[in-house]
Amino acid sequence: MPDIGALLADLLDFIGEQINASSLRLGAIPTVALLGIMLVLLSLIARPTTRWVARDLGRLAAVSRAMALAAESGGAAAFSLGSAGVARAASSFDRLQTLAAIPVLGHVARAAARAGVPLRVTANDPVTIHLADGALEAAHRATETEERQEGSSTEYLGEGRGVAAAIALAEAGAPAAAFVDGGLAEEALLLLNGAQEGAAWTSFGTAAASQAGSVMLEGDGNLIGPELYQAPSDLRAAGHERTGVLAANRIIVAALVTIVLGSLLAVAGGVDLAGVLAGR
Amino acid sequence: MRRSLPTLVVVVVGLLLLVDYVLINPTLAGLASGLLELIVLLAAAAALAGAATLVLRHWTDLTERRRDPLGSGVLLAGFAVMLLAGFYPGSTGASDPAVRWLVAALLAPLLAALFAMLFVFLLTAARKGLTLRTRQTAVMLAAAMVVIVLLLPIGGTVGDSLAALSGWAIAVPIGAVFRGLLIGVAVLTAVHAARILLTVDGADD
Repeated sequence: MPDIGALLADLLDFIGEQINASSLRLGAIPTVALLGIMLVLLSLIARPTTRWVARDLGRLAAVSRAMALAAESGGAAAFSLGSAGVARAASSFDRLQTLAAIPVLGHVARAAARAGVPLRVTANDPVTIHLADGALEAAHRATETEERQEGSSTEYLGEGRGVAAAIALAEAGAPAAAFVDGGLAEEALLLLNGAQEGAAWTSFGTAAASQAGSVMLEGDGNLIGPELYQAPSDLRAAGHERTGVLAANRIIVAALVTIVLGSLLAVAGGVDLAGVLAGR
Repeated sequence: MRRSLPTLVVVVVGLLLLVDYVLINPTLAGLASGLLELIVLLAAAAALAGAATLVLRHWTDLTERRRDPLGSGVLLAGFAVMLLAGFYPGSTGASDPAVRWLVAALLAPLLAALFAMLFVFLLTAARKGLTLRTRQTAVMLAAAMVVIVLLLPIGGTVGDSLAALSGWAIAVPIGAVFRGLLIGVAVLTAVHAARILLTVDGADD
């Protein structure tokens, strides 16, 4: 019967064998560089709120007001999670945009739940619909409005980017507020146009660089490029944090202007602005 | 604690794939390959479940005369026709001539017709954009006009100069904007992916 010592020895042997059988795929320096980048990214993640942006990305801070207006008018809200999906044959960059849109959906769903506005979420991928279901459920649980969840729905539209656009155009039903966030491609303009038809309030976002123009042209609020990933972090920032970031931004701009101006003056006329500022 | 199991699975799978990317090890490669196959299987199962849900939903709409029964009928008929073409006795599946004909004669023209509307919708969007954000939209449309002029099929010296200028515009200013956007997207994609991996919740108001 093997004892613990023998088991440990076997385990160490196994680890030793695995280490012997391994080699670095990228070489020492690229591997260290890759892991170093991961470390920097993790340090960025450790403080998830956005540091240098204080403006209202995608007009998401005004979602509660939009939902209040929708509730007054008896309207509904529509949220499309783009056309990339999560388990579809799209690039991983596209798929991650869908995942980035889920916290935005959560923010909208909480506002809709509080205001009692029915929210219709659409996607062309069943896994995305499952995630959306979870987001809606969590929103109603967080706002203690489970009894209103029946009014909201998630809908799988069918496979294909063209399908999402065609259904958006065909079913343009004038929602009070319309949102499209996630991966978009050549169908973007059609999908966004169908989504915004008759909507009193819109917010669209995609990280697809080629579709930045479509988002800018169609949406009242927009998240372009990296902003789609920034927005979920920014939603979390409290008022005083935003004010702090805004103040820091202004101080940085003022410092940069002073440095540039001081340098130009020093080069042009020998005026020592640093001396004046420091009281020398 | 409710999320501890999914979190653990995500972290373990993510780290395993990362280590497999960095190290060459047969055991790790086998594990990573098995996981990736499992993901493909899960995606396939999800697609089947999605199709079943779609059919059930529209069947209910049709039988209970809810929403758009006509549209539901068309969808179910299309579904049935495509399934018949792919599964009739002796069919070769997706490469069967009947399936190919349905795709080439029905689906492709439908999609082409849909995308043909892009030009009209672009003009509508430009008008809407000008009412929403006059200055930014005007700059964007002016830049688009410049690019169109640069790409005009004109011959001679003028044409050559325009072609050279368009090449420069695409490589330098437009390329710079695209690179900037792509770098920003890549960095924040990595940050976002890691945040998902570590389940750092974003929206929490």
